[in-house]
Amino acid sequence: MRSESGMVNAMPGCGEFSLIDHFNRTVTEQVFRDEHTLVLFGFTHCRVVCPRSLARYAGVLDQLAGEGWPVRGIYISVDPARDTPEVMRDYLQPYPAFLGLTGDDAQIDQAKAAFRVFARRVSDPDEPNGYRVPHTAIAYLLDAEGRCLAHFADALAAEEVLDRMRPLLATQLRQSGA
Amino acid sequence: MRDTSSPAATADRLTPEQIGHLRHFDNLSLLPANDWSLMQGMATGQDDFGAYRFQLAYMAYALAITHVHRLPAAPGVFKPIFERIIGKLLLPEVWLYWRDVSRGGSIFNSHLSERYHEEWDPVARDNIMYSAYVQSLVLLYNVLFDDDRYARPGAITFEHWSYFWGGDGHRFAYDQNTLNEHLYWKMVESGYLGVACEPNCIFQICNQPAILGFRMHDLLTGGSRAEEVTRGYEQAWAQFGRIGDNGHYHVMLSEDTHAVRPNAAQAPWVDAWCGALMNMWNGDFVRANYPQQLADLLLQQPDGTLSVKSAPRPPVKGHTVLNDDSDFGWVAAWASEMGDEETLRGLLQHADRHMAPQWRDGGLYYPRNDRTADADGYRTLVEPMTGNVLLGYARLNVRDGLRGVYEAPWSDGHFREPAIVAVGSGMDVLRARFDRATQSLLFALQARSDQPASEAWIALGRITGRGPWRLMFDVEQVAHGDDTTLKCTGPVSLQPTDCGLELHWSGQRVQIMQMIFEHDATAAPSP
Repeated sequence: MRSESGMVNAMPGCGEFSLIDHFNRTVTEQVFRDEHTLVLFGFTHCRVVCPRSLARYAGVLDQLAGEGWPVRGIYISVDPARDTPEVMRDYLQPYPAFLGLTGDDAQIDQAKAAFRVFARRVSDPDEPNGYRVPHTAIAYLLDAEGRCLAHFADALAAEEVLDRMRPLLATQLRQSGA
Repeated sequence: MRDTSSPAATADRLTPEQIGHLRHFDNLSLLPANDWSLMQGMATGQDDFGAYRFQLAYMAYALAITHVHRLPAAPGVFKPIFERIIGKLLLPEVWLYWRDVSRGGSIFNSHLSERYHEEWDPVARDNIMYSAYVQSLVLLYNVLFDDDRYARPGAITFEHWSYFWGGDGHRFAYDQNTLNEHLYWKMVESGYLGVACEPNCIFQICNQPAILGFRMHDLLTGGSRAEEVTRGYEQAWAQFGRIGDNGHYHVMLSEDTHAVRPNAAQAPWVDAWCGALMNMWNGDFVRANYPQQLADLLLQQPDGTLSVKSAPRPPVKGHTVLNDDSDFGWVAAWASEMGDEETLRGLLQHADRHMAPQWRDGGLYYPRNDRTADADGYRTLVEPMTGNVLLGYARLNVRDGLRGVYEAPWSDGHFREPAIVAVGSGMDVLRARFDRATQSLLFALQARSDQPASEAWIALGRITGRGPWRLMFDVEQVAHGDDTTLKCTGPVSLQPTDCGLELHWSGQRVQIMQMIFEHDATAAPSP
């Protein structure tokens, strides 16, 4: 009897990818190693979800840093046609806790698959260039090994996210002996 | 939490017809593996809407509804049937169609067939029309019976090997948590539009059971996946609308083009199936659209009964489409969920008059009949899904029945309350409810005349630690005891067992019984 895998890789964050950061450097999934990381997907022309999400999580990361739990923010574009590294750098200037990542279509597709993210370009004459990119608005918390510890739906308020992240980070730090 | 313990919430005891439907579900669940007697529909290969998986799943949903709303203190009636239904749902005969359907080739996905491959794992991709039923049933089982047997690694295993072909065979192991997690992420990847059934076909209907499963998982784990998914679902479908210009639910969405397929023909099964399920989490919306949708579908008949206007399926590329739409059954189920008693009564009157109800081995069903109508034009078409399952489901349901299961099946302390935890094959349970106000287990029994008297028994469980008790037949005390003593003074036999007391009674009438306890075992101890 051949035993085939059921879907074991249910939690995202385990896949490999290669992207360009907003300083024009090539980065791989190794960028998530050695420290805790919060990963968001989005696009710089996003009107509502991304600005709200970035503002919320910038506040969360600031708060955690103040409590002695540094977590790095990563913002991965789902709109590589418009989101060049330069555009990402300018866009993320108000959110210094976040590093922007972009790439070509194939690179972005690989990153989306790694995180099981939905994003799809749809026509919209009211938008610049005539399109927008609805996308999954989930934040992923990765540990220092790149494993997904938890994910947070967009509806969660900052305090709820903090309440969920603190015990996870505390457990992790206890296990690492820090 | 809903209070199901007060007498005011008591539904009347089950009618002979309701008991008959439960017995029929039981009878079908007891058939040997791969004996699908009475369940075979007109289509080939288990790829249509009357397939075994649908019949099994909606029998289980009907059991859940009946247990929660009508017999909350009788898990022993439902648990064994539920287990057997899940066992059948995992049989290869039920899911093997996916190996073929996964390759595409229908008119909805033939242009994409080159990218599809033969897929054996029936829950890995697409096929939410199967995977969501497995997921929702095993999680429902855990919630309803406080039994996590399907949470064990490999507890849900899809396995096929043949002596005659296929080499080493196939085996795919899951459990209720890995399966739920997998479907959740498939839902996320879809942007919450939903997971496809056949490749490229996202049906609104078939994603509702997955939402039920997410909700059950949330109840077990304290999560909020169902809320997240339904909120995302609303946003994702907002651009298409869930309903077309004619006021009827959209049938499906093409995954590649995002083209919506409206219910232009006003097929009753589309509205009724979708409405009966979506009422779980979106009741206001479903209720707001119900009257007009129903008015378009319902048929008033000269004999005062009601039927439905089925939409004929046009030929496709010269072929007749064979599919058990089960329009009549789905509208009855929908009306029952809406609490529309007038419509339900009219439909059931039609079924009883024109659809040849039969009793077999104590069970009630409406046998398959492929003839569309009789000489007078009355609908006689009965698909196995309608005749075995949906008319029973409708008769057993209560207003917002499935919605109640979704929201909160049990109040706190339910699993510590006295209950009928096992039932012999010779006993029907017509009523079973624990009344907290009087600390009484209220139940009604009837011995089956077609079974040996030795099988006319029930097991009363969760009764220890409650101090002295009295057993009443109507107003007459027939036994009393406590955790260590027992005395019978009337026409009943009671024997202590590992799980409580085994009660034998073989009178010929419906007997109303009441077990009254002195103490509330769930109450906080006095300081």
